Amino acid sequence: MTPMSRIQAALAGQPNSGKSTVFNMLTGARQYVANYPGVTVEKKSGFFSCDTSRVKLIDLPGTYSLTSYSLEERVARDFLLHERPKVVVNVVDASNLKRNLYLTFQLLEMEIPVVLCLNMMDVAERRGLSIDAPKLAERLKAWVVPAVAKRNKGKDELRDAVVSASQAGGTFKPFNMDYGPLEPFLSEIEEKLSQKPGLAYPARWLAVKLMEDDHEARKLIQKDVPNPGELLDLAVQKRKKFTAEHHEVPERHTAYTRHLTACRIHEACVKAEKKSLSTLSDKIDRVACHRYLGPLILIGVIYALYELSIVQGYNLTNYTWPLLAGLRNLAAGLLPDPGFTHDPLIRSLILWFTDSVNALLNYIPIFFILFSLIAVLEDSGYMPRMAFLLDRVFRRFGLHGQSTLPLILGGVYVGGCAIPGVMACKAIPDERARLATILIVPLMNCLAKVPLYILLVSIYFPEHKGLAMFFMATVTLFMALPVAKLLTLTVLKKKESAPFILEMPPYHFPTVQAVLRRAVERVWLFLKKIVTIVAAVAIVIFVLLQFPGLSQERKAHYEALADKAKSEFHGKIQGNPYAEHVQGRNLMALILFQEKYKQERRGVKDKEKARAIDARFQEKNPAFFSIIKPKKDKDAKKVNKAFKKVVKARKKIRREIQGEKINASFLGSLGAALEPVTKWAGFNWRVNVALLSAFAAKESTVATLGTLYQQEESGSGETLESRMKEQETGFTALNALTLMLFMALYPPCIATTIMVKLQSGEIKWMLFSMVYPMVLGITFSSLVFTGGRALGLTGLQAMLAFYGLCVAATVGLALYNPRRKFSYNHAFSKKEENL
Amino acid sequence: MRKIFITMALLAFGLVFAGQAPAHTPMCDCFDNGDDTVTCEGGFSDGSSAAGVVMHVMDSSGKALLQGKMNQDSEFTFEKPDGPYKVKFDAGEGHKIEINGEDIVE
Amino acid sequence: MQTPKTKMTLNEMKPKDRCRVRKITARGPLGQRLMDMGFFPDVEIYVVRNAPLVDPVELRLGEYHVSVRHDEAGFVEVERE
Repeated sequence: MTPMSRIQAALAGQPNSGKSTVFNMLTGARQYVANYPGVTVEKKSGFFSCDTSRVKLIDLPGTYSLTSYSLEERVARDFLLHERPKVVVNVVDASNLKRNLYLTFQLLEMEIPVVLCLNMMDVAERRGLSIDAPKLAERLKAWVVPAVAKRNKGKDELRDAVVSASQAGGTFKPFNMDYGPLEPFLSEIEEKLSQKPGLAYPARWLAVKLMEDDHEARKLIQKDVPNPGELLDLAVQKRKKFTAEHHEVPERHTAYTRHLTACRIHEACVKAEKKSLSTLSDKIDRVACHRYLGPLILIGVIYALYELSIVQGYNLTNYTWPLLAGLRNLAAGLLPDPGFTHDPLIRSLILWFTDSVNALLNYIPIFFILFSLIAVLEDSGYMPRMAFLLDRVFRRFGLHGQSTLPLILGGVYVGGCAIPGVMACKAIPDERARLATILIVPLMNCLAKVPLYILLVSIYFPEHKGLAMFFMATVTLFMALPVAKLLTLTVLKKKESAPFILEMPPYHFPTVQAVLRRAVERVWLFLKKIVTIVAAVAIVIFVLLQFPGLSQERKAHYEALADKAKSEFHGKIQGNPYAEHVQGRNLMALILFQEKYKQERRGVKDKEKARAIDARFQEKNPAFFSIIKPKKDKDAKKVNKAFKKVVKARKKIRREIQGEKINASFLGSLGAALEPVTKWAGFNWRVNVALLSAFAAKESTVATLGTLYQQEESGSGETLESRMKEQETGFTALNALTLMLFMALYPPCIATTIMVKLQSGEIKWMLFSMVYPMVLGITFSSLVFTGGRALGLTGLQAMLAFYGLCVAATVGLALYNPRRKFSYNHAFSKKEENL
Repeated sequence: MRKIFITMALLAFGLVFAGQAPAHTPMCDCFDNGDDTVTCEGGFSDGSSAAGVVMHVMDSSGKALLQGKMNQDSEFTFEKPDGPYKVKFDAGEGHKIEINGEDIVE
Repeated sequence: MQTPKTKMTLNEMKPKDRCRVRKITARGPLGQRLMDMGFFPDVEIYVVRNAPLVDPVELRLGEYHVSVRHDEAGFVEVERE
């Protein structure tokens, strides 16, 4: 029995070569995602078996080259150098062979057997290109496997090639690039290297890198080689000599040599049968990138994204929410029963926990649709077109064309969510722009902020509803952009900025499988990383809201009220035949009985089913059942009437307790303590408490406000709007405005904060993203409120004034460009200037 | 000039959608009390109460029969109409629920 | 009048122009990135279009398309075809 051999293989390739598709084709469902240690670059691994070999395939980040200029390149290269996989599978776009070979050569130089996967053969064929695979294999000294990964073609051949390549072992002869005039210099360095025993890296590769003055290579030498100084000095010397003799730096020469070699091989192995005609992608681009149609189509796409995911997604939640509510009821049924005025702590805790988690889970249908649509956008190739259209605008604010999608997702109009928004920042290649985008996405209009806006607008801006909503929706953009610019000029100044150069790949029709897979992956990430932490925070907030709680005195007060209600009830039904069934504890039992009955009957439309449920409950306790459904029974009806009253009284008492509890809690004290500061922004302690609780999830703001503004004794149920209006007599439109402004700028909810940490990789940015909006929010709110008061402006006037200021700031900062050309700082490297 | 055109288009587009902001999922369940009255209970997924939300009871052709509001317990009780009817929970755009009287079983 | 051999750069090209690269004058990361994307002496470039707001510009090199900002394109010396 031949033992199972384990092989580690790496998957490398340029972006848009179909690498992910090849990865999925080879590994199927057996893959998992992690991070490369210490960085925010995703590391995907998968497995497949072939013959007696089990192959672990690591998907390296897609890179155009293997220099040390970008994080992805460094990660890919480090993996190849230190993990030394047995095989490298290089996925290549067959219709773009020349450019792809540029990376191939660099992979070959690592002296690991390479299997070249000629992907997208169908596209090459369509373009009239025919490739001589065997000849290519011969020239490159590699295995060449044509494939169409999208259609699962080439899977077996590729797997076989990987196994064969891994077994090449001793007979493997690495590919040798002829660098012409550079060769003598390389030999000298290689000789010096051979004097150092036990070097873990291919000597020739190192020699090339040293001549190119590659920073990472120098670091490797310093770390691993005894007496590195000598070697490094030699390299510097040689570099100077070559440059002086050939009027070109070595790295320019090596790049050019690779390019020429690629051209030669292309010439030899690829035949173009017809002149490239205008492709379908070209035709689509004529519209998609058109001067006037382009932006219109972009708006259309954004609208479709919004409409399908948010609006339709919300409609879906109408079906999924009952499921979640069902789970909650299940939990409620399993926990100890509630009491008349108080519930056991464990019950309150678990239910609160469930409610908080449910609120988040309710987003899943929306996220699923959203992530699917984003995957479609990504796979189709439209994203670079978006960047192409909007880069000019975003660039002025230190952002990038690819900041478009994150900002849209965050809610560029109304109703986005910062979580997928921050997630989408992954694609931004420029580190500075990426961080800037991550930091401003939470300022956009997330879904959860909207209920508060609606509440306040309907109370305080009733005649200008549309205008006020429009203001809220757009002002965030005019605040986010200047903030981005300021961040770029100050805090983010030292971050690397990258060149824009963006490939515009041909359009692809996304496959359902790939889209769904990506959507599921991301939803799972959301569940795993975010829901867990939010759940933990929910518990913390619970404690802060429950304790220290009511004083003994107050508790007694409510008990007294409860007793009064109960004795009223008993008084009314004295002498009634049913009275004996509801004495003492049985009253509570009846209340629970009714609640359980209602729960079971909820949503039941079928007469048969309803009757069955009724029969069951009747059997359980005929007396109770008659009381809650008296039908024609006069006595039962009497009890029913009194019962309804006591239930109502109970609800009222519980509501009042709830409200008072918040006052008496830690959170409440905190809210009160903050009042002296927040009063400049027009916030009283109630608003503070609501805002504090919103930290867990912004949705809670309205609910908490609802509890804080108690119903009045008289009258029918008033909406929160009317209650707030009545009870906050000092509150004017100006207060409302500042509250909304603060909400707009409010620090991201915990879930988003976690996402920020995940995407930026550093806790400091996560903390910064929490603190700076708070500072901004309080400052702006206070300015608007106090300023507005001082100038005697109405809410509406203050709104317009503030809006005007924001737009002015945006335009002003857009025109401000301290360094005339951003690109100069990366067009020249410091050492070059001295050479 | 082109830039201005694009900006105006975007803003105009914005105005159209000013009102349409979905927020939290609405809920409404109705029960037949067995004594010719029906009680509907309402709420929202984020825990906010539905007190004050407008309730409409209409006949099958949509003609209004009764109107009222959810009380402070988020409940609305009304006399069951003769014949087919519909109940509507109206908390604003995107937050409406319509329930068929037929489905409210005794 | 013979047109003097002045140094033309890529950002001076207009849509539908064809040109050939003479030299990359950028160094450091930008130079590297340009080369990674296939900008080398003797490579033919076709200017497809400008973005609606003029910047960036879409180019075709052989079989693929690349968009570049105008100021970056300024570092590519070309010869009109």
